[in-house]
Amino acid sequence: MRGGSIYIERTSGLHRLHPLTKVALTALCFASAAALPSLAWLLALFVGLLLPLAIWGRLTAAFLKSCLLVVGPFVISLTIIQGFFSGGETVLFRLGRFAFTQEGLLAGLTFAARLLVALGGTLLLMQSTPQAQLMQALTERGFPPRLAYVVLTAIQIFPSFQDRAQVIIDAQQARGLELQSGLLSRVRLLLPMVGPLILGSVMDVSERAMALEARAFSSPAPKTSLHSLADSPSQRILRWLLVLAAAALLAWRLWSALQ
Amino acid sequence: MNLRAEGVSFRYPSGVLALDGVSLDIPSGQLLAILGENGAGKTTLVKLFNGLLRPAQGSVHIGDWDTAQHSPAALASRVGFLFQNPDDQLFERTLAREVAYGPRNLGASEAEVAHRVSRALKLVGLQDMADAHPYDLPAPQRKLLALAATIAMDTPILVLDEPTIGQDELGCRAISRILTDLHAMGRTLMMISHDMDFCAEHAERLVVMLNGKIHLDGSPAEVLSQTKKLDEAEVAPPQLVRLAQALKMRATPLTVDEFVDEYKQWRKKKNK
Repeated sequence: MRGGSIYIERTSGLHRLHPLTKVALTALCFASAAALPSLAWLLALFVGLLLPLAIWGRLTAAFLKSCLLVVGPFVISLTIIQGFFSGGETVLFRLGRFAFTQEGLLAGLTFAARLLVALGGTLLLMQSTPQAQLMQALTERGFPPRLAYVVLTAIQIFPSFQDRAQVIIDAQQARGLELQSGLLSRVRLLLPMVGPLILGSVMDVSERAMALEARAFSSPAPKTSLHSLADSPSQRILRWLLVLAAAALLAWRLWSALQ
Repeated sequence: MNLRAEGVSFRYPSGVLALDGVSLDIPSGQLLAILGENGAGKTTLVKLFNGLLRPAQGSVHIGDWDTAQHSPAALASRVGFLFQNPDDQLFERTLAREVAYGPRNLGASEAEVAHRVSRALKLVGLQDMADAHPYDLPAPQRKLLALAATIAMDTPILVLDEPTIGQDELGCRAISRILTDLHAMGRTLMMISHDMDFCAEHAERLVVMLNGKIHLDGSPAEVLSQTKKLDEAEVAPPQLVRLAQALKMRATPLTVDEFVDEYKQWRKKKNK
């Protein structure tokens, strides 16, 4: 993983799925995260669906590591906040006048599990789908190419931003800027680093725009794609089922809330 | 101030072995050029000299300092570094402030900073634009500004990464003059370049790198005469040398004047 891209190259069935099928799966994960009523259901979805998909995609270690890195801090902070402050009858322990309750702990864990499910779906999509393929799939379904380019560039600019930032730090260190003496020197680095970084990036964008225009980016003619994305009737059916399931879950949740 | 690398190896986190047991002694005041194809290890080697990278094995000494014991900021008082792209370092509102940034970091007094700024800008020919904004200069002049900022550090050793890249004939001549002046002041100068004509004309010593090792090391005439080894390193000799080799002249002329002299002698011998 580097910069804005978390795609991991593997040869797997998950990687071969059409990007929109994975987008539909992500939508289902978000709907489930919002609609499923209990911690048990959320964990069952994670263990019963997302984890097997990660194994199928040969992404298990990276997938679990990313989940842990992102959700871990939330688990800790949410359980502490909810455990102490959301109230409840069953007191597990006390810190001074604050009581940590079982109901609060459960609420915190449930919230963290909702994040885990939503994040898990997104991670599976991003770790198994190159950004260019995702954008291609979206533009083939009518997503404006200009907007797709803006999104893709914004994601892809991170690695080059990182590289440039490192060169700038090197250049300013070579001019005597001390980095190793703590916070003050890091604050002092801001202007010498941000100035060249932004100016350089603006110049890059300007050159990139000219290079694109020189290759007929704004041409009104319909665009053809060098690569074709594999799709199949069964995947189209699967996509519809996933979207319908997501919609049904949300509708059920809404209906339950209104009862 | 001399510079010494002993058995230096360096591997990037990606696993690429960029330097493999490199040893190099550079005496004080020498003007040396490091050559080689992209990825040969040139930039990695010079980044070890100012502590931006640390050797995995071996040691690098700048005078009596082991670079492993000093931060890049401390080493900046001994080794100045001109980066390839000047836009990676320029951020101040005026040329004078930009040039003053390094000396201020090194703790020079205001009077000393003013003196160094004025001297450095004069040396690169930008003294009349001290109050202009750096980005009002065209790119080749921004490179000269970055060079002035490096010179103002007043370091005994200067590393120049591709000093002539992006320069027109006038810019190359300006850089040639600046290097000659700095060399005359006794600075140790080390340049990385693909500009073979420039290196052959100015350097006292050429070091050719290949696959993270020193492949050739010697005077320009010695190095540039080794056609086969240069071929292995994907380094093409300067046009004058290639012309002399095509004519089967024995000498290795490095400048037009040298070539003309050699050619005259060669013609005389041929006509006899």
